[in-house]
Amino acid sequence: MAPDKQALRADLSKAPFRAGVAGGRWRLIDIAWPHVFIAVTAKDGRDYVLRFNASGFPATTPTAGPWDMTTNAVLAFDLWPRSKGGRLGAVFNPNWKGGTALYLPCDREGIAGHDHWRAQMPSKIWRPAGGLVQYLEFVHELLHCCDYRPPARAAA
Amino acid sequence: METIDIFYQGHGLREIEHIEIESDHTVAVVKEILIQKHGWEPDTLIYIEDVEAPLEEQRLIVELCGAGAHLHLHRCRNVEVEVTFGGETVHHRFAPSATVARVKTWAAATKFGMTEEEAGEHVLQIAGTQDRPPPGAHIGTLTSCPACRVHFDLVPDERINGAPGVTTSGGR
Repeated sequence: MAPDKQALRADLSKAPFRAGVAGGRWRLIDIAWPHVFIAVTAKDGRDYVLRFNASGFPATTPTAGPWDMTTNAVLAFDLWPRSKGGRLGAVFNPNWKGGTALYLPCDREGIAGHDHWRAQMPSKIWRPAGGLVQYLEFVHELLHCCDYRPPARAAA
Repeated sequence: METIDIFYQGHGLREIEHIEIESDHTVAVVKEILIQKHGWEPDTLIYIEDVEAPLEEQRLIVELCGAGAHLHLHRCRNVEVEVTFGGETVHHRFAPSATVARVKTWAAATKFGMTEEEAGEHVLQIAGTQDRPPPGAHIGTLTSCPACRVHFDLVPDERINGAPGVTTSGGR
């Protein structure tokens, strides 16, 4: 097994990830290397699947975006979580990388070209020792904050 | 014998750990297993997350918490917490099993009168550092005996702005 895949599997077997599963915060859906599909549960009970590209894990920062397991494609934008005008909308931004990545400092695509974030928000920068849970924690917190609204299609 | 998953943090143990125990284990047995594993002192106490009083040792652990429960092991009964915001500092004693999330709610909402929205835009940062423990961290992991105190600053969470074409609706 490739070292990065082995490291990812070991990370998912650790207590912090398993505690999140036991607490209903997230769950592993599938691994199709280098992609890892993990559902994160929002405050309204809705699951949002993130497709991670974890190649080079953990030394290389992963990248992830909302994914539709049924169509095997980027989640339709009217099924993305919505913002009330606060911080969730900056992260779940369909206009960023065509919806393939979240606009987060701990995301490979997000940090590219934003080196100043390393000084501005060090707590949000990817740490290889922190594992995938640090990314999931940020997303889970956003999906549970006051700024979260359900997707447009669900509200229609 | 049926087994159950228990997650725990403790003194000097910042990352969550996991143990599988048998359903007929008492609190005392679980405590002894963990003391042996981590080299903690015999007078270590065992708590349920965000519960103030330590567990009674003769009780079965499954009577007190279900599978997937979060425990905390620490020698102290209280951690002296200070939170500073806007030049004002508030104090309270919490059990070491109190989560950072609970302390933040107490400070932001109860003491500094923030709305839920305002509180959501702030985080606790250990004073004099850039260390922002996650909401699920137990405060007992952030301090050591016998001092058992931790000083936070309540600081604005950094907004991630500047993405091209950012929308506020999240929809097309």
